[in-house]
Amino acid sequence: MSLEIQNLHVRIEEREILRGLDLTVRKGETHALMGPNGSGKSTLANTIMGNPNYEVTEGRILFNGEDLTEADPDERARAGLFMAFQYPATIPGVSVANFLRMAVNARREEPIKVKEFGSMLGENMELLKIDRQFTSRYLNEGFSGGEKKRAEILQMAMLKPEIAVLDETDSGLDIDALRIVSGGVDALRGPEMGSLIITHYTRILDYIKPDFVHIMLDGRIVREGGPDLADTLEEQGYDFIREEVAAADAS
Amino acid sequence: MPASSADWLADARQAALEAYEAEPVPTWRRSGFWTTSLRNLDVDALEPRRYEAVADAAELPAVVRDALDDEPGALIVQRGGSTVHLRVDDDLAAQGVVVCSLEQAVADHGDLVREWYMRRLSETEGKFPAATAAFWTGGVFVHVPKNVRVERPIQSVYVIDEPGTAQYAHTLAVVGEHAECAIREYCLGDDIDGQALHAGAFELYARPGAKAKVAHFQDWGRGEIYDISTKRVEIARDAHVSWVPVHLGGRLTKQTLDIVTAEPGSDMRHTGLYFTERDEHLDLFTTDLHEAGHTTGDTVWKGALTGESRASYEGLIEIVENAQESHTYLQTHQMLLSQKAKGDAIPSLIVKTDSVSASHGGTVGELDEEQIFYMMSRGIPRIEAVRTLVEGYFEEVVQRLDDPGLEALVRRRIGEKLLAAEDQVREFVGHRAGAAQEA
Ligand SMILES: Nc1ncnc2c1ncn2[C@@H]1O[C@H](COP(=O)(O)OP(=O)(O)OP(=O)(O)O)[C@@H](O)[C@H]1O
Ligand SMILES: [Mg+2]
Repeated sequence: MSLEIQNLHVRIEEREILRGLDLTVRKGETHALMGPNGSGKSTLANTIMGNPNYEVTEGRILFNGEDLTEADPDERARAGLFMAFQYPATIPGVSVANFLRMAVNARREEPIKVKEFGSMLGENMELLKIDRQFTSRYLNEGFSGGEKKRAEILQMAMLKPEIAVLDETDSGLDIDALRIVSGGVDALRGPEMGSLIITHYTRILDYIKPDFVHIMLDGRIVREGGPDLADTLEEQGYDFIREEVAAADAS
Repeated sequence: MPASSADWLADARQAALEAYEAEPVPTWRRSGFWTTSLRNLDVDALEPRRYEAVADAAELPAVVRDALDDEPGALIVQRGGSTVHLRVDDDLAAQGVVVCSLEQAVADHGDLVREWYMRRLSETEGKFPAATAAFWTGGVFVHVPKNVRVERPIQSVYVIDEPGTAQYAHTLAVVGEHAECAIREYCLGDDIDGQALHAGAFELYARPGAKAKVAHFQDWGRGEIYDISTKRVEIARDAHVSWVPVHLGGRLTKQTLDIVTAEPGSDMRHTGLYFTERDEHLDLFTTDLHEAGHTTGDTVWKGALTGESRASYEGLIEIVENAQESHTYLQTHQMLLSQKAKGDAIPSLIVKTDSVSASHGGTVGELDEEQIFYMMSRGIPRIEAVRTLVEGYFEEVVQRLDDPGLEALVRRRIGEKLLAAEDQVREFVGHRAGAAQEA
């Protein structure tokens, strides 16, 4: 049970953004992905999810052994992939509750019973300390940055993916919200879920201890290690890695 | 003798007939690509048709029965040229509410009708307003007396279910001082095989302090029904009207829809919706006219186009001289859902005074690919995502109907239209996704 990315090259508007990226995330594992602005982290997340704006020119994405490189996003989602968006879209006229019901039903033969849905929703809202009335608002319309991130994690909690990619879910959260949302993500972790957490800060990693840390630079993963790599990075910034990479390229 | 033999009305009809005969059949042109032409309509082949009344609503044409899913307080149905059904609940009658044909009202409430008849309409507005004023039969009259509050909606229906029909329609509604009511008028057509015409007039007067909810639901079906109508709402001092015209079908529709805040304190909420398909042609011009200071308005119009349809919405806010302290805004949006559909949505503003706030905005757009991707990333198939987004787009205006029965009907019809257009929408959206990938 795993997501395997092999030699991934991705282009947007004639520019190569990902340049041969390899990464494997197994169920039950937590990976952190860090990298400077513009290094291609969101590009990777979007490509994993099948955003049609991103063109894969080389390489493959395998999920549980199956090649999903050309699959439509809805197919990937139903197979068990999930992405929490860095910038989630607004869906006017569709309430959070209705949207969740639609998404839950999309992966079932029989529509979920009202009661079952209600109790599942109640539990997850409790977990993420979300107000009842929140679910009758239109999805992301007029949501604050923090509310949008919470709504993303609420969706993850409801959809129970096998592999989740969280793109900067911690950005824009205040300290309390960060604790609640990270706590929620942590509670959802387990042997049944693997996650790839894209972040700029080690703070979220205090709540969600990663098993592996990957550092991305210019569309490639250039360093991999354990949780302490994140700390080294926080202390020294990206420059030391840039220098190392430059030295390695030169030799 | 029929009520319409009243002298004053005979004179009015005569004047209208003269105006009608003096006017050529119009063609409406605007700069750009837009023309509304009646060259394909054979008016001379049409005639008013007469029908027997039916006491039992179950005997009404199916297209009417299908749209009646809840029990209105009063129901009046005009089929072709004849009023075929009238039912007014006892409690409404006991409150002094009058709902009947306009012909009947001329006989029974002559003074009241004469006081209001065509106050805000004129036979000099063009060939079709003149024709309606000269030739109307049946018609609808509604009067809610001062201080009366009507709970259940008052419903009028104009139906055309045979080709060759010319229906000249006139509705007059007066909502008395501090009265409250909901009026909904349906224009329904069967899927006739051939041509028909509905030339209509609607006028409503909300007297001081009144509160009225007014809905127009138009669905002329798949036949060749032409609708050329003028609708006007006047709101007096401290009165409030929420008006929601819904256009869901008709071969060609040309309508003028005006709402006038006529005295200080009057307030309008004006909400419109249209969905065109196949080769339909829709041409709407609305005016929010602020005739006095301290008036307020809030207008939203939304439309969607499929097939090879054409839709033009032009919305004007006009604030006259000395109407200071008026606050109003108008928003209009149009969504193209097929490659061959074409339309525009034009807001405009004429302000002849100062110290007012008036804003307007308009967009014509397509579905947002990022929204579709977002929904698909949750497992929702593309076509369902598209349907949900279009329904969500309309939801804001549907909710402003504030009438659960009618809301359900509008949602159902939009759903059906989207389903019917599924292939073109899929092709259109898919084509754009492909283009994005190539870019
Ligand atoms: N839709 C797009 N159109 C054009 N360029 C894009 C698009 N998406 C990403 N890019 C470009 O690709 C590069 C990588 O962007 P990406 O969003 O993946 O970076 P990131 O690592 O997520 O950055 P951040 O930390 O700021 O979120 C950037 O140079 C960006 O400008
Ligand atoms: Mg990013």
